[in-house]
Amino acid sequence: MVKKESDAIIEKFRSIIENVTEYGKSLHEKGRVLAGYMCTHIPEEILYAAGIVPIRILTSHESQAMTRSYIHETYCSFSHDCAYQGLRRNYDYLDLIVTGSSCIHMGEAFNVWVRFAGFHEKSYLIQYPHIIHTKPATGFMVESFGQFKEFLQKFTGRPISDEDIEEAISIYNTNRRLLKRLWEFLRSDKPPLTGLEAATVTLASQVMDKQECNGMLEQLIKKVGTERARERSGVRLLLTGGSCDDLRIFELIENLADRSTIIFIDSCTAARYFWFEVPEGRSNKLEALAEGYVGRIPCPAKDNVPGTGEKKRFRLIKQFIEDFRPHGVIFIYQRFCSPQPMDVVGLKPLLLRLGIPFVDLELDTTIPIAQFRAQLDALVEIIKKVVP
Amino acid sequence: MNNGKIVAGIDAGHLNTKAVLIKDGRILSYAKAPTACDVLAATQNVLNEALKNAGVSPDRLSGMYITGVFRNMVETRTLNVGGTVPEYIADAKGALFLDNKARTVIDIGGNVHMAISFDESGNVLDVIENDKCAEGLGIFYRNMAKVLGVTEEELSELALRATKRVSVAIQCRLSAESEAIDLMCQGVEIEDIADAIARFIADRVAAMCTYVALRKKVVVAGGLAKSQAVIKHLQNMIKEEVSVGDLPEYVGAIGAAVSYGGAK
Amino acid sequence: MSELGSMNKQMDWKKANVIVAGVDVGSVTTKVLILVEGQVYAWSQVRTIAPKESVFNAINEVRYQTGLELQNIQYVVATGRGSTQVTFAQRTMSEISCAVAGALRIWGSSVRTILDAGGDSCKVIHCTDKGRVTDFLWSDKCATGIGRSMETFADLVKKEVTEIGDIALQSDQFPKLSDFCVVYAQSEALDLIRSKVPLKQVIAAYHYAMAKRISTLVARSGVKKDFVIIGGLAKNPGIINWLESILKVSRLAPKPEVDPTLIAALGAALFADAFYRRQ
Repeated sequence: MVKKESDAIIEKFRSIIENVTEYGKSLHEKGRVLAGYMCTHIPEEILYAAGIVPIRILTSHESQAMTRSYIHETYCSFSHDCAYQGLRRNYDYLDLIVTGSSCIHMGEAFNVWVRFAGFHEKSYLIQYPHIIHTKPATGFMVESFGQFKEFLQKFTGRPISDEDIEEAISIYNTNRRLLKRLWEFLRSDKPPLTGLEAATVTLASQVMDKQECNGMLEQLIKKVGTERARERSGVRLLLTGGSCDDLRIFELIENLADRSTIIFIDSCTAARYFWFEVPEGRSNKLEALAEGYVGRIPCPAKDNVPGTGEKKRFRLIKQFIEDFRPHGVIFIYQRFCSPQPMDVVGLKPLLLRLGIPFVDLELDTTIPIAQFRAQLDALVEIIKKVVP
Repeated sequence: MNNGKIVAGIDAGHLNTKAVLIKDGRILSYAKAPTACDVLAATQNVLNEALKNAGVSPDRLSGMYITGVFRNMVETRTLNVGGTVPEYIADAKGALFLDNKARTVIDIGGNVHMAISFDESGNVLDVIENDKCAEGLGIFYRNMAKVLGVTEEELSELALRATKRVSVAIQCRLSAESEAIDLMCQGVEIEDIADAIARFIADRVAAMCTYVALRKKVVVAGGLAKSQAVIKHLQNMIKEEVSVGDLPEYVGAIGAAVSYGGAK
Repeated sequence: MSELGSMNKQMDWKKANVIVAGVDVGSVTTKVLILVEGQVYAWSQVRTIAPKESVFNAINEVRYQTGLELQNIQYVVATGRGSTQVTFAQRTMSEISCAVAGALRIWGSSVRTILDAGGDSCKVIHCTDKGRVTDFLWSDKCATGIGRSMETFADLVKKEVTEIGDIALQSDQFPKLSDFCVVYAQSEALDLIRSKVPLKQVIAAYHYAMAKRISTLVARSGVKKDFVIIGGLAKNPGIINWLESILKVSRLAPKPEVDPTLIAALGAALFADAFYRRQ
C-alpha cells in the first residue's frame, strides 16, 4: 500500500521532535548559529533577524534525581529535566541560551545552564513584564526588546536592520497561520487528522528553522485536505494547561475504550505558541513585536488585569470551547506548578456553568498510564452518561 | 579488641537490629533480627544468637557498644552497655575495619542513607544524609518485593535480567511504588520493573552523593548493598568504582564494637 | 492476605440464565464478584501480584467454591488499575462508574457522595439519584498510597493491619504528625518511636494524620449526603472515626451483604449484567 504523503510528512515532523539533538547538530554543521530558549516569552523574530535559529529546549523524559542538588525537589519536573540536559551537556552545540523572565521554576533551570553547564558567556535573560495587559508593560517590553537587539548585534558582530526584522515577522506569521490552519481542521466533527498529529507537528515547529517548517507545513495542509478520509471525532476533548511535550499523553487520550479526539490544546507547547500574529508593516518593529506578543493567549503567570483581577485567558478559552465544541476538558499541568493550578481553580466554575465535565492530569517525567487511563475512561463515561 | 577480650557491637536500625562479636580484631559471629519497634527485645535476641553462634557465654563479654538510629532506646541498666556510638562514626570505623583502603562509605539503610568520608584512622571528615523526600529506601525495597510477590534476593536477580528500560517516578518512594504498580498493571515484565526499582534507589543515593566529595576507595554498606543491580547502577551514576564487602549489613555493628572507648 | 471467598449457598447457578462477573484488579487486591440472575452469588479476593496471575487465582477460588467455570460466565466487565490485563473481559469500565453503580445497589439511591479509599489512590465521586456520575476528584500525587502505607506502617510496628485501626482509637492525646505527605508522616512516626512515645499514641497520631490528608481531598471536592466510604480504608475504624469528625459528616454504615472492598467489583458485575441483557 502506497504510504500517503501526509503520513510521510507527519512522520518526518515526529522524527525531528524525537531526535532534536540530531536536527540541531545538522543545522550547526550547515553553519547556522543556534539559540536555545526555555520559555516562549521571547521575541523569536529578533533572533531570526540576526540570522540565528531559535530551538526550544524540551524535555528528555528521563527520570533522574541528580538535579536535586541544583534545584529544589518541589520544582516541576519540566525544569528539572531541562536543567539535567544542560548538566549532561546535551546542548553543547548551542551558541546561545535565551529566556524571558516568567516562572521561577524555569528561571532556576536557566540559572543552572548559565552557572553550571558552561553557558556563562552565552546567555541572555530578557526582562519580560508580569502584568502584561497595561500600557506601561508594552513600553517596558519595547525597551527590553531593544536591549536584547543590541546584545545580539554585539554577539553576532553585525547589525540587525528593520528590514531583517520585518522579514522575520513575515516568516513567523506565516508559520503561525499555517499551524492555525492545521488545527482548524479539528473544528469539524469529521476531521482528517488527529489531535496527536497536530500536536506532533506543533511541537516540531518549536525546534525547527521556520522557513523549512513552513515548506513542510504548506505541503502537509494541502495533502491532509485532499488525501485523507474524514473520521468521526467521537468524544471531543479539549486540553488546557501548562507545557506538555510528551506525545505519549496525547496517544493515551486518543486510545481509550471509546473513540476520542483531542480537538484543541491550550498550552505553551501548542496553541499559546502560535495563536496570534505580530502586526506587519509597522515603522517601529519593536513596538509591533511587543503588541503582537502581548496579544497572545496569556500564560497564567502573566495574566492579570489590574483592578478587576480578571483573566483574559478565561475569555479566550470560552471562545475556543464555542468554536471547537469539546465534550470534555482535560487539565494538564506539572506537579508542583503554581500558576497553572491557580488558573484551574478559576476555570472549573466556568466549565461547571457550561455543563462540561473535566478531569485533572498531574504531569511528571514518568506517566502512570494505568491510572491516567482510568481517569480518562471515567471522563468519557461521564460524558456518555453511562449507567448500568 | 585485644587481650582475648570479646566485645559486642549492636546496630539498632529502622528495619533490622544487627549484632557482631569481635575478639582480637576478628569477627567471631554475627546475627540479625527485625527491630519491629521493640528495640530491647530485638537487641537481646540478636545478642543471644550471636553468642550462641560463637559458642560464647554472656559472662565472657567484656563490653557492648550500640549504634543505630534506635541506640538510645536500649536501657543501659538491663544490658551491660558500655556506650553508644553515632551511626556515622560507627560506619566509618566499621568500613575501615573491613577494608583498610576504604575512605568513603555509602550506607543505604532501612529508612536513612548517608555518605561518610574519613581518613586512614577512621576519623570522620564529612557526612551527608538523605533529604526527607528520599527517605525509606530499604522499606521501599521490602515493600516492592512484597508487591511483586518475590523475596528481596529474587528482586535483585530479576533486575539483572532486564531487557527494556522503564522508569518510575523519582520524587519519593511512594510515587515510585505507585508507578511500579502501574507498570505491573500495564503488563510490563517483572524484570524490567525490578530494574527500574534498582535504578530509582541508585539514583536517589547518587543524588545525595553529589553533595560530598567521594574519596577513594568507596565502599557500600547496608542491606541494599547486597543487590548487584543497585550497585551496578550506583557505580554508573556516581562515576566511581565501589566495592561491597562480605558483611555490608554489619558495618555499623562492627564499627560500634571497634569504637570501644570511642566517642559518645 | 490469603485468598478469601464466600458464596450464597441458597442459589444454584446451574439453573440460571444470566451469569455475569465483575473483576476489580486493584493495586493491593484483586476481586471477583459473580451475579446470578442479578443477585450476588459468590465473590473472592486475592492479593494482587502479577495482575494476570492474580485474576486467575481469584477465578479459581470461585471455581473451587462453586464449580463455576470461566466458560459459564456470559459477560465479564473488568475495572481497576489492572483492568486491561483481564484478557477474557468483554469490556472495561472505570472504577469511578463501577463504584457508583455498586454503592447505589447496596445503599440505595440516596447516595450522593462516595469516597473510594483504596490501596493506592483516593477518589471522591459525586452522583445523581439515578446513579449518573457528575464529577470526581482523584487524589493528587502527594496523597498517593495512603492505604498501602497502612500495611507498611503496621509491618514496621509489627502489628496486623486489621488491628491498628482499633489501637488508634485507644488514645485521646497524641502528638501531631505531618499531614501533608505520607513519607514525612511515616518518617516522623519513626522519630516519635525513637523519642520513646508509647506505640499506641504513635499509631493514633499516624491515623489522625492520614485521616486529615484524606479529608483535605474530600473537602476540596465537597460532600453531599448521603455519604458512603468504600475500599480497604473503609474498614479501618481509626481512619473513619477521625475522617467523620474532621469533616463533620457521618457516612452510612457498611452493609453486611457486600464488603466495602467489593463494591467496585459489584458495580462492574452490574454493568456486565446490563450489557449482557442489552445484547
